[in-house]
Amino acid sequence: MLRFRNTFTDGVGFDTVLVMLALGYLVVFSAYPLVYNIIMSFQEVDLFSLASFDRPFVGLDNYRDVLGRPEAWTIFLNTVKFVGISVAAQLTIGFGLAMFFQLDFPGNSWLRGLFLAGWIMPALVVGAVWSWILAGDFGVLNHALLSLGLTSERIFWLSDPDMALYSVIIANIWLGVPFNMILLSVGLAGIPEDIYEAAEMDGATRVQRFFTITLPMMRAQLGAVISLGTIFTLQQFDLFAALTQGGPSNASNVFQYWSWQLSFQYYEIGVGSVISVLMILFVILVAAIYVRSTRAEHVA
Amino acid sequence: MTRQIELSNVQKYYGAYHALRSISLDIDEGEFVALVGPSGCGKSTLLRTIAGLEGISSGDLHIAGERVNDRAPRERDLAMVFQSYALYPHMTVRRNLTYSLRLQRRSRAEQAKAVEEIARITGLEGLLDRYPRELSGGQRQRVAMGRAIIREPKAFLFDEPLSNLDAALRVHMRSEVRQLHNRLGATSVYVTHDQIEAMTMADKVVVMRTGVIEQVGAPLDLYDRPANRFVAGFIGSPAMNFVPGIVQDGGTVALDLPGRPVLRFNGHRPAGEPVTVGLRPEHLELGDGPLTLPVGFVERTGSTSYVLTATDPELMISTPARFPDGRAEVTLSIDPANVHLFSDDTGAALLH
Ligand SMILES: Nc1ncnc2c1ncn2[C@@H]1O[C@H](COP(=O)(O)OP(=O)(O)O)[C@@H](O)[C@H]1O
Ligand SMILES: [Mg+2]
Repeated sequence: MLRFRNTFTDGVGFDTVLVMLALGYLVVFSAYPLVYNIIMSFQEVDLFSLASFDRPFVGLDNYRDVLGRPEAWTIFLNTVKFVGISVAAQLTIGFGLAMFFQLDFPGNSWLRGLFLAGWIMPALVVGAVWSWILAGDFGVLNHALLSLGLTSERIFWLSDPDMALYSVIIANIWLGVPFNMILLSVGLAGIPEDIYEAAEMDGATRVQRFFTITLPMMRAQLGAVISLGTIFTLQQFDLFAALTQGGPSNASNVFQYWSWQLSFQYYEIGVGSVISVLMILFVILVAAIYVRSTRAEHVA
Repeated sequence: MTRQIELSNVQKYYGAYHALRSISLDIDEGEFVALVGPSGCGKSTLLRTIAGLEGISSGDLHIAGERVNDRAPRERDLAMVFQSYALYPHMTVRRNLTYSLRLQRRSRAEQAKAVEEIARITGLEGLLDRYPRELSGGQRQRVAMGRAIIREPKAFLFDEPLSNLDAALRVHMRSEVRQLHNRLGATSVYVTHDQIEAMTMADKVVVMRTGVIEQVGAPLDLYDRPANRFVAGFIGSPAMNFVPGIVQDGGTVALDLPGRPVLRFNGHRPAGEPVTVGLRPEHLELGDGPLTLPVGFVERTGSTSYVLTATDPELMISTPARFPDGRAEVTLSIDPANVHLFSDDTGAALLH
């Protein structure tokens, strides 16, 4: 008994417990649902067979089914646009703001604090705020545009099929900018001032210093922000729920929302699982890129 | 000789803090000028002002005859070696060296030739494909030097480039930097807080204190004829002894030491004037003389003995002789030419 207590307090016992806790957590909450999801994507699953494991395997039928649906291609393109535009704009605006806040001016930290507002608010609340801004009939944005004379009639941001997806993208960009800004600020602050001065003495203009010093020295942070931004954007669900519900007629639908609709609104659970499996594969790829970029950071 | 860098009446304020006060200084082409002074006296500020990294509040700065007050650093054609080296961490040694050439869009062949020559001069052959993090302190220092000389600028600016090296390497690099300067026929402005570095390397030493230039001159001029008490105490190691005294008739001064010893000096001062007498430790000679003082403490390094007297103020004597143990008193003489007098009010030198 004493010996056991000793290995627990001094020896490998305690370490083992810690490792087992972490491992157990991963198995129960990550690995199990993941594997369960993958298995379901090869099975015929409906409401009645949901509780039992004993379901007929249907091979790749679910995959053929879902990818053959007419709306699949539209939704795929929407997802690509949603992720691509969101990440690119978040990165550009976040980087711009991070550089702006590197400057020394009065009220700097106060103003920077304001920009973090979007970060601390739950996405559903943000969605509610934006649905109020973007509302067609008495929305704030329409009112502003009309009174400034920039448009002559109301734009139905959330119900116009040409607009709905971009409305969600705008809200999502707003939501992601603070995260980008903070991570990139940390990176910028880590570049010593004297390196810029050396480059200035060596004859580099402001633009040349940005491209030859700032950008290459920010490679690790940029890689991290792009891959994390992609992952977060692929997880963005609340904004769709709050703003458009994927509509009108899938005009603003994306894979993550569609997968949920298929599984939990139409109860085509096998088909819904297929989408999540495909997204998981993509996210693993992005995560691999992220891990590589942070590893490069340790070497540097 | 032509003037390469000319500062006239330069003032620099950081907010309300007056960092450079009426700095006027001429630096000739090919000259090696050291800016020396205690930490915080404004040496780096002056250097960065010349570089253009700091603006000046008023006054004029000319480089090679042109007024450059409003020119950006890159338009001044000067190279700087930083104390921290400031190497580009994401570039290999080769790319660090060629950075300025690449900005000028020089041809690859030209770059390769320049790198080869610089590597030979600075001893960086074989290290060209390493990153700065893979180099020792001394090697990084060489890269910083190489990056400066590859451009063949109008002048080199050094901000304490050797202070991060260990003592032995520092002494070695001292002569290397100076030889490099001679070989390139360059104009160099070298900031250091170490007066030995300034004395051994420079053609001309500029001694600064709290934003003011105290004296400009050749190293041995500063040593032999310091303009004031501050320069006298700053130049020379160990530092000059200062003793209060009163001028007597016939070119002598009575020291405020036990027995009120009287020393002769060269020159004329009115009798009765209260002064500060400056005596360098190495000028006080053991043997017959007017000073007989109690011994307090003796240090020996083998080549030199340092004797501290048990007086107030205490005197330091440095002598190549082996000072014997157990001596209670020391008798000293000094050549009248080596006695310095400073005004009690202004600190100005009174004899030259
Ligand atoms: N950017 C700055 N803002 C305000 N004060 C400064 C700045 N840079 C230097 N100083 C002040 O100017 C004085 C001279 O500094 P510096 O030139 O760096 O001295 P040193 O002779 O040690 O190189 C110091 O008192 C320092 O505090
Ligand atoms: Mg300094």
